[in-house]
Amino acid sequence: MPTTLTDTPSGAESLILDLHGKYLEEARPPEPFKGLNLASVRRFETLKFPHPKHDLFSFVNAKELAWTRFQLQRDSRIGKDIVRDHVYPGCEKSVLVVADGTFRPDLSDRSALPSQVKVSSLREAVADPAIARYLAETIESENDVFAAINGAFFSDGLYLEVEPAALVEAPALILYISSGSASHPTMTVPRVLAKVGRHSEVKIVVKYAGAGGNYFVNSTQDFILEENSKVLYTHIQADPFESWSFAKDRVHLNRYSRFHGVNVYSGCKLARRHHEVHLEDSGAELKLDGVSVLTGREQAHNLVRVHHEAPQCASAQHFKNIVNESSRSSFDGSVIVNKGAQLTNSDQLINNLMLSDDAHADSKPNLMIYADDVKCTHGSTVGQLDEEQLFYLNSRGLSQGMAKSLLTRSFAESILGEIQVPAVASDLRGILSKKLEADHA
Amino acid sequence: MLEIKDLHAGFEGTEIVKGISLTVNKGEIHAIMGPNGSGKSTLSKILAGHPSYEAMGGTVTFMGKDLLELSPDQRALEGIFLGFQYPVEVPGVNNAEFLRMAYNAKMARQGKEELDPLDFDDILDEKMKLVGMDPKYKDRSLNEGFSGGEKKKNEILQMAVLQPKLAILDETDSGLDIDALRVVANGVNKLVNQDNAIILITHYQRLLEYVKPHYVHVLSKGKIVKSGDKSLALDLEAQGYDWLTPIPK
Ligand SMILES: Nc1ncnc2c1ncn2[C@@H]1O[C@H](COP(=O)(O)OP(=O)(O)OP(=O)(O)O)[C@@H](O)[C@H]1O
Ligand SMILES: [Mg+2]
Repeated sequence: MPTTLTDTPSGAESLILDLHGKYLEEARPPEPFKGLNLASVRRFETLKFPHPKHDLFSFVNAKELAWTRFQLQRDSRIGKDIVRDHVYPGCEKSVLVVADGTFRPDLSDRSALPSQVKVSSLREAVADPAIARYLAETIESENDVFAAINGAFFSDGLYLEVEPAALVEAPALILYISSGSASHPTMTVPRVLAKVGRHSEVKIVVKYAGAGGNYFVNSTQDFILEENSKVLYTHIQADPFESWSFAKDRVHLNRYSRFHGVNVYSGCKLARRHHEVHLEDSGAELKLDGVSVLTGREQAHNLVRVHHEAPQCASAQHFKNIVNESSRSSFDGSVIVNKGAQLTNSDQLINNLMLSDDAHADSKPNLMIYADDVKCTHGSTVGQLDEEQLFYLNSRGLSQGMAKSLLTRSFAESILGEIQVPAVASDLRGILSKKLEADHA
Repeated sequence: MLEIKDLHAGFEGTEIVKGISLTVNKGEIHAIMGPNGSGKSTLSKILAGHPSYEAMGGTVTFMGKDLLELSPDQRALEGIFLGFQYPVEVPGVNNAEFLRMAYNAKMARQGKEELDPLDFDDILDEKMKLVGMDPKYKDRSLNEGFSGGEKKKNEILQMAVLQPKLAILDETDSGLDIDALRVVANGVNKLVNQDNAIILITHYQRLLEYVKPHYVHVLSKGKIVKSGDKSLALDLEAQGYDWLTPIPK
């Protein structure tokens, strides 16, 4: 097996191509999936695994992942008990389970979701030619090699459609649960397509978790927001350490629509999120926030590409990373303001909190502006916990561990405070404190 | 209770406290006065265990223990409380939650039951009334955006909640209006009893009208140059510090 980064390609690609051959033979995906799979595998061959200087992978070393010989997960071991462990209070009757890439109505409960929310498997949904066309188009123009791998292997997924003028109270919780395998690394390719109709508002919570480790969850999610609609989105990455967790989130924003996303990462062997956002018509608004809390050798990487394609749109990003021990985070974000996108407002801020000398946090905020009348800011900071604050808390009897954990939590709070589903926010607060306390003990 | 013997201490190798000896017994109130830069805050930070300050010689014993060996939180749990001259702002840390954590750290140390937010709230309400603080300060971030006087009151609130054995109040009276000064004095007087002691660092005689110290010490250039009873404070107010510092030959 090659040992340097530069000789990654061809060999590693053949592992995927072999697996793909087997997949087509054994799974016999029906049309239009077979056609989409073939188009996507061609896309994969063009894109190839990233070389070390690839601009979508500046800080992510995907070599080990590329060289891992994955099998597709066949027997899903996900049952009701595992699902129950991951359901947030208030979401018990609005939970949609995607187990090892397959939407499982038997494990889901959608009774609290109003009839204006249509839920189906992607298999059923592709009967609609518009949906099949959308999938074909995204696959043809895919720029991320891992999303292309998803496209090459998917033959199902979840389709969610909110009809126009619906105000959905209950948060829709999408649970991605992976079985993992003790004997060999497995890959799953969940795909979700969500369309939110005009003047509708919905809260969507997605959570990635595993029943075991040693898996590669390689998902794509597409959100299409029609005029004046609003999505409050919370994304939780909580896979076990031994896993790889990738997602490509693509958001299309129509006139006056708003997408507010809060992404929370617990990290794992390699977690990566690629956010691709298109502000396609005037008045659209994006707010994208994130916080990672990493210890040990956990990694979490964010790649953000925000495309301002129409005038008078706004985007704001705020990402915070807390890195301890030998963990690693990165943020690589570009805001691209197209020629016609006058009166664009855009802010981008990254704050990294370094809790150890061995930890690593990379930030690359970037602006590409092709319009002249815009207001854009970007910046990043790196810091440690404040000595005077620590001493102040210590002097009141809080141990060094408690004081550090308290200050670190307060650093994360400005992002967690943005989460619009209280039960989720408080659960995450608890998890983060535990993680921080275990770590400082 | 506290015994300081020939303490030398400073900051990054520079000696600021140059041989201080001081004994504080239970039930006593000591006032330390002295010109700006004489080392009063340095002494208080050394006693509280600030990591940037180092002891360079001498000993400090508190309740029979070698204080200098203890970490700042251990010192606090032993019963030492420092009222900061410049209380630190800690954005994002809720004032009430912080107070409860500090209170519970003390309870845990004493093997007593920790209080949940509801039960603690009763204690907090009572103490806030005592120091004349509006309950709205519970929900604020610790000292963030507090006015100078509000920060000082918050220090007294913390002291009232934690009930230390030895409180060292570093210019807690500075920047207070007359009502707030009474509040601080009242808080101090409520704390002192036969088991506790207080060291008041102050520039002003006016606090000493409400809190009667048993001893007054004058610190100058890192040394105690004079000790006396409370009449010394009056002399200082009238004459300044010059008469105490020998004119170099
Ligand atoms: N962290 C520090 N960095 C640099 N110098 C310091 C530091 N702490 C104390 N010093 C110096 O030590 C000396 C004593 O300072 P200290 O704050 O103890 O004085 P003080 O008696 O409390 O004065 P004040 O009445 O103004 O509060 C001063 O000259 C001060 O500049
Ligand atoms: Mg001072």
